[in-house]
Order: sequence, then structure tokens, then C-alpha cells
Amino acid sequence: MLNRVVVTGYGAITPLGLTAEDTWHKLVDGVSGVDHISLFDATDFSVKIAGEARDFNPLDYLDPTTARYTDRFAQFAVAASLKAIEKAKLNIDDTNRYDIGILIGSGIGGLSTLSRQVEVLNTRGPSRVSPYVAPMMIADSAPSQVSIKTGIMGPNLSLVSSCSTGTDSIGIAYRMIKYGEIRLMIAGGADAAITPLGVAGFSQAGALSRNTDPQKASRPFDAKRDGFVIGEGAAVLVLESLDYAKSRGADILAEIVGYGATSDAYHITQPLESGEAAAKAIEFALVNVDRGDVDYINAHGTSTPLNDVSETRAIKKVFGDKAYEIPISSIKSMVGHMLGAAGALEAIVCCEVINKGIIPPTMNLEHPDPECDLDYVPNAARDGDIRIAISNSFGFGGHNSVLVTSRYSER
Amino acid sequence: MDIFEQIKEAICKVQPGVDENKIASSALLKEDLEIDSLGQVELALALEDAFGLILLDEELEDLATVGDIVSLVESKS
Repeated sequence: MLNRVVVTGYGAITPLGLTAEDTWHKLVDGVSGVDHISLFDATDFSVKIAGEARDFNPLDYLDPTTARYTDRFAQFAVAASLKAIEKAKLNIDDTNRYDIGILIGSGIGGLSTLSRQVEVLNTRGPSRVSPYVAPMMIADSAPSQVSIKTGIMGPNLSLVSSCSTGTDSIGIAYRMIKYGEIRLMIAGGADAAITPLGVAGFSQAGALSRNTDPQKASRPFDAKRDGFVIGEGAAVLVLESLDYAKSRGADILAEIVGYGATSDAYHITQPLESGEAAAKAIEFALVNVDRGDVDYINAHGTSTPLNDVSETRAIKKVFGDKAYEIPISSIKSMVGHMLGAAGALEAIVCCEVINKGIIPPTMNLEHPDPECDLDYVPNAARDGDIRIAISNSFGFGGHNSVLVTSRYSER
Repeated sequence: MDIFEQIKEAICKVQPGVDENKIASSALLKEDLEIDSLGQVELALALEDAFGLILLDEELEDLATVGDIVSLVESKS
């Protein structure tokens, strides 16, 4: 028998705030979390802006020694997980600690740790390289630190699929519960790649916006878009089987009803222009949902010239003429691209959209692009009775991942 | 700042959760201050930065107490 899978909690650290709730309110108000880079001196960089999780203090979540030996992305993951667990009112004790697993991915991992240690290696030699370099930079340090902090003793895993990481992590966790492998999963993504190497690398790939106006730079679907704005943070959800949620009297926030993933098999950075494989991912995710029932699409909407066109094509391929009637928005216009955390935050946003009846806007959509001609909810939030929302995530390497969230109802 | 104070600062840097009151000359690095073999490498780097000297791996192997570090630094200064 297949389990229904429900969402009972979530938490986030984002450029807009240190909680999912604070982030949500600012998204609805169209507030941008992008500003000039403060994490390092970007004077010599062509890109000088980013969505930083300002005000984040790891000591609010970790003891000082653990914080020192935990990379920033994993610190974010611990913080977001603790908030999610608190919201879900989940007690972890000897009766359930093996029934709970963790799947928190990271697109990049501990890049600041790696960069610092390369510097130590080059200036001080191999015998001064930190023994913590491996445990701090590996992507699975995020779920591992969550396990150590919370006492969760089921599987702790990480998956990496660049900018699809958050969506894939939730999707795979959803399947683990659906197929009865585990009762509850802490799932999401985390990234902290606003480092000199990270910004230079994405910039050299031509992926980042050169716009110098921080709040105007991320402009998904706008004709003057010129790349994404790098963001950072973590977003984590508590997913569990409906039976387990009921048995512990949890508040059910939404239901996950589908997940689909495909690959472009085309190019290491560029998306397939036709959007064909992305469309397939949407179709696979909707295998148990009538396409006509989709009320909202949370777009990948990176603000790169290529993504926004191919994503629009994919949506049209799946929904035909109905594509013009579905409100679509990209919160990356406000938080930037949180890489491996992006899809996880967008899943949280889908839950909020369903429960609050408000669709956050796509900001900075001022100059229509003839190739992006759908309803992207430009520049102002809108009311909407949303029962079913899908979230798209695509990534370097040709990942296409789609999650379907539904309002929960007994049936 | 005297040598002991500088060593204390280096220990706090690599082991920020440590109880500073425990950092005495007789304190055992591992048992009292919870600086394990991984932490010792971090401590070596911090000591080199603090005192502007190079520590040899074999010198580090013999360090058991805070007092041992004081003696080592004094002998090399």
C-alpha cells in the first residue's frame, strides 16, 4: 500500500529573513533581499551583488566549537531544520529516532572551507591543512550535523543535482515515505557559495547578472534580464506519512502529490532550448493529477536569457492554451538564486500559497519579452484560490525536477 | 601580552566552546580542554600565526599540557 505524504513543518534561512514566515511576508510584499556583497571584498569583481543571509548567527543554533568546524551552508541547514522540527512539533526520542531520516542536499557544498584550506595549503604547506577540510566541505555534512544536533538516527543522506538539488531532495524523500521505507523525513537543501571562488566561477560561466542595481538585477522573464543573482540559505521541510502525522496529532500544512525528474542529455550549462525534457518532468510529476487542476506554477525563473524562454516553452508544451491562464511567479526576483536551497524554499512557498491564498509576484518584470508571454504575476502579489501548485527546478547538467503540492483534504 | 595569554587566545580560537577558566598551565590538552588530534593541527596553525614561528610535527607530538606549549614557544623564541 502506498502512503500519502504530507508536509507538517518547515523552516528557512534566506536573504529575506531567518524564518520561513518572515521570508513569506516579504515575498508577498515584493521586498528584495539582494544587496552589495558584504561577505568578501568584491571590488575587483565584475559582479558585486548577491542575496546574502545577513544577520545569520550560527551561535543561535550551534555551540561555538561545532559552529567553528561546520561550514556556513551546513550551519544554515541545521538552523532551518531546527525551525522545521519546531514548527512540526516533532519530538525526537527513543520511540521514533530510527523512524526519521534526513535528506538535505547542497549544490556546491563547503566552498568557503575548501577555498580557505587551499590558501593554507599553498602558503603554509600540507601539514597545516585542517583535518576538518573533508568533514566540513562534503555536502552530507549538512544532514550529518542535523543528525548529531537532533538525535535523528535513521538514514542521513545528501544528493547533488546543482540547482535542482532542493526539489530532488524533497522528491526523493517523498518517494521514500510513499513507498513505506520510512515514516518521516527532514528534507531540503542548503548552499553558501557567495565566496570569491563561487562568484567568480558562476560569473565566468556567464550565468550571473552584471546589473549594478541590486534590487533590479534579478528580473525573471523581463526582456532586459541578463543572468541570475547568486543567493544563499537553506530551506527544510518535515515530510511524513499521513498515518504517522495523524498518529502524533500533527497539523497538516499540505500534501505532496507528485514528483518528476528528467535530464536534457544536451549541455553542461545550457538548458535544452525546446524545453522538451523539462516538459516531460512536469508531465511525470503530474501523472496522478489532472493537468487542468494545476492552479499555480512556481517557476524556476532564474532571470537568465536561456532558462526563462525554455521554461516558458516547457510550460506551454504541457498545458497548451491553458498555460496562459495559470499564474506563474519566480521568487528568485527577490531572494536571488539560492542554488541547492532554491527548490526547497519554493516548495515552502507553494505550501504558503495554498494555505494563504496569495501568490507572490515576479518583481522587476517591466519590459515584456515576446518569447515569455505567460502570466508571471508581475510586480504585485495577487489573491488566488490555489489547490494544486507545481514547482519547477532546473540545473547545470540538464536536471529538470518538478514537485507537485496540493491542499490537504481527507478523501 | 605574555606568552601564556597568547596561547590562551589561540586555544580559545580553535576551541571557542572551551571554559577559559580551565586553561591553566597544568591543563591537559585532550582530557581537560577537549583538543583532540584534529584540533591539535588547528592549534598548531594558530600558534604559528600568533608567534610568527614554525613548529615541527615532532615538536607537536610531545605536547600534553598548556605548560608544554609555553615551554616550546619559549625555547623557540
